Amino acid sequence: MFESVDDVIGQLAEQGYIADKSIATVVFLAARLEKPVLVEGPAGVGKTELAKAVSKASGRELVRLQCYEGLDEAKALYEWEYSKQLLYTQILKEKLSETMAGATSLRDAAERVGAEDSVFFSSRFIVPRPLLHAITSDDPSLLLVDEVDKSDPEFEAFLLEVLSDFQVTVPEVGTFEAVRRPFVFLTSNDAREMSDALKRRCLHLYIDFPDEDLELRILDTKVPGIERRLAEELVGVMQRLRKLDLKKTPSISETLDWARALLALNATELDEDLVRETLNVILKYEGDIKKAQSELGRLITRKSEEPAGEAKPRGAAPASPAAPAAPAPGRPTKKGTLH
Amino acid sequence: MQKKIIDFTNLLRKSGVRVSVAESIDAFEALDELSIEDREVFRDALRSTMVKRGDDIPTFDQLFELYWSAFYDSLKDAFEQAGQGLPGDIDLEQLLEQIRQGMQGMEGELDLSELAQALLTQDLSKLEQLIREAAEQAGAGRIENMLQLGFFTRRTMEQMGAEGATQELRDLAQRLRDAGLGDAEVEALMELVNRFAEALRRSVRNYTERELQQQNFDYMERFRRESLLEKSFYNLTEEEIRRMREVVTRLAQRIKNILSIRRRRLKKGKLDLHAMLRRNMAHGGVPFEVIYKQRRKDRPKLVILCDVSSSVANVSRFMLQFVHSLQEAFTKIRSFVFVSELGEVTQLFHDEEINAAIEKALDGGDVINVYTRSNFGHAFHDFWKNHLSAIDKKTTVLVLGDARNNYNDPRAWCLRDIHSKAKNVVWLNPESPSAWGFGDSVMDRYLPHVDVAEECRNLRQLSKVVDRLVL
Repeated sequence: MFESVDDVIGQLAEQGYIADKSIATVVFLAARLEKPVLVEGPAGVGKTELAKAVSKASGRELVRLQCYEGLDEAKALYEWEYSKQLLYTQILKEKLSETMAGATSLRDAAERVGAEDSVFFSSRFIVPRPLLHAITSDDPSLLLVDEVDKSDPEFEAFLLEVLSDFQVTVPEVGTFEAVRRPFVFLTSNDAREMSDALKRRCLHLYIDFPDEDLELRILDTKVPGIERRLAEELVGVMQRLRKLDLKKTPSISETLDWARALLALNATELDEDLVRETLNVILKYEGDIKKAQSELGRLITRKSEEPAGEAKPRGAAPASPAAPAAPAPGRPTKKGTLH
Repeated sequence: MQKKIIDFTNLLRKSGVRVSVAESIDAFEALDELSIEDREVFRDALRSTMVKRGDDIPTFDQLFELYWSAFYDSLKDAFEQAGQGLPGDIDLEQLLEQIRQGMQGMEGELDLSELAQALLTQDLSKLEQLIREAAEQAGAGRIENMLQLGFFTRRTMEQMGAEGATQELRDLAQRLRDAGLGDAEVEALMELVNRFAEALRRSVRNYTERELQQQNFDYMERFRRESLLEKSFYNLTEEEIRRMREVVTRLAQRIKNILSIRRRRLKKGKLDLHAMLRRNMAHGGVPFEVIYKQRRKDRPKLVILCDVSSSVANVSRFMLQFVHSLQEAFTKIRSFVFVSELGEVTQLFHDEEINAAIEKALDGGDVINVYTRSNFGHAFHDFWKNHLSAIDKKTTVLVLGDARNNYNDPRAWCLRDIHSKAKNVVWLNPESPSAWGFGDSVMDRYLPHVDVAEECRNLRQLSKVVDRLVL
């Protein structure tokens, strides 16, 4: 599927996904070793996007399973189509009585019905859910198990079984085995730590917030119309924002939203007013917005005006939100209400 | 190479990163697929197969740096320096080439040791390998402190036969001179040999130092994290208090995460007829799918009474921070602080940011006079008089204090009344149970009116209690 690590970078770039080397290495290895990839990282850094891009690059059909609490086998794997079975029974009533005709005893009748029960428990009445679909599909597929941390531990254990053998047993019908092993991506926001057993079976990929350079390249690719200068200023603000102690640190998706918003406003450069008015695009909490507003002056320092000393730590630790350069100025005062 | 990776795996394990055997096999398989020329790719391959927790990534990165890259780089530095500025402006490459040609002439009788050959050909990877092997045989992995650096360096050098190799090279220079190498070149070669010997010694010492760092790495790292959890609240420095705050915030966040998942996954309750009929309409009213009513779990109400006298101030500080970070987990929290008189700080926590509020409550006389002697009896009586109505049968009362009452009247009956009204009373005492009831401690007098009494002297114990409280 992929020739080399650089080939992965190239192919993903064609799909509009800018991957750094560590992402590409893991994707390459996963393809070679046929192992699932567990992708972790903050929300909005492109975990799901990565799976989509890989599916497009490799020409595999994307089968997505969104996890949530209470997700069970019936919704993830397969389900019997009760209503269809019912309908068939009713339509076939006469045929059934024909079969039954001449049965002398109850036992005899039950035998005859029993001989036919495979009609009602066949793959005809199975609704395949994403997992079964990914396993049974003839064309190679890419299974994306999204936000796996939101699912229950029981489901995780069950997922483990599927991922280790790529086969599924339906008691009434038999065992389905994967014709072509699907490429599996699991994404997690770390709401809950996944079990060691699951982690052991996966390759692990941690995607962090991008550094300035990478973010700029992503912005260039995703929002083509943007002017270089605006893009640079914008990315600078985002990088500095991430160092504040915010409730929800803005991610790449917010950067792109913001860039599109600014483009729609025909902005060519950032100034305080503009940032103030559009902050709500990138920050989702009232407290965060207030805090960012109080720091506005520092946030939109231009590159050229920046003192030389400050420029260095910014490049060195772009992702650490608690970098010493930004003294955490206290959290929002209203942290939940007292009843 | 294989051995090196296995060593590295062991190092990771020792530093608290769990790497299973299956995972190290994965690592080998991964390396089969890749060219390991590119250091970054090599690192990513190892990382993705061996490290599965985000928290462990920094540990891995640092260890990787220590183990794989840094030593080779420093080796390269040392030998590059050694080759520069030879006497008589002789170029290193040219000199080595001349030597090579000279050596070809006396093939057969020359029998240089591996080390000497590696030095002559500047084969750094070979050198690295030799140093590693020698260091292992010399037992450098057992190094424990700085004082042993010299000893292990020397032993490694001996093991490697460094002395012999330099001598061999000197002999070689002599013979090359006999074979007709120019004087300037021979002089340069002699100088070069000396420099090589020095560079080698520096590198070996450097390697031993690294070995020491690696041995200590897990120790330092774990010390930082674990010890904060285990460290008694009694003796914290300013710096530790600051760091502790972060740890508390993180612990609270974790409990919150667990909570948000558990809250919605409650035990199933009674049948929900309405919902069931509706859901099964598609099946002609035949109830294929059974729907249950969700039973609602009550979030606890919490009343905290914190002793803030200097002896337990730190415990109270983190307790308050913990509980208020977990606001959402409780329907209602009311916090009181006392030394002798009782003051409510609920509003303070409402208005101010957590840490500022704690500082205000603990320091000075903003809320209560903190410069008196503890009097639990008086505080409980205060509470009984003014705030007993705050307690109902859903309320958990959490008392935090050492119960050292300075020989005042304990007024245990106040606590008895509180106990009879509350859902339960939990007492956290920073002293160990064996000290309860001795000296001026009146813990024994309060114990009959307390459902749970726990020792709570460090963060681990504290988080356990909070865990039980909300889950």
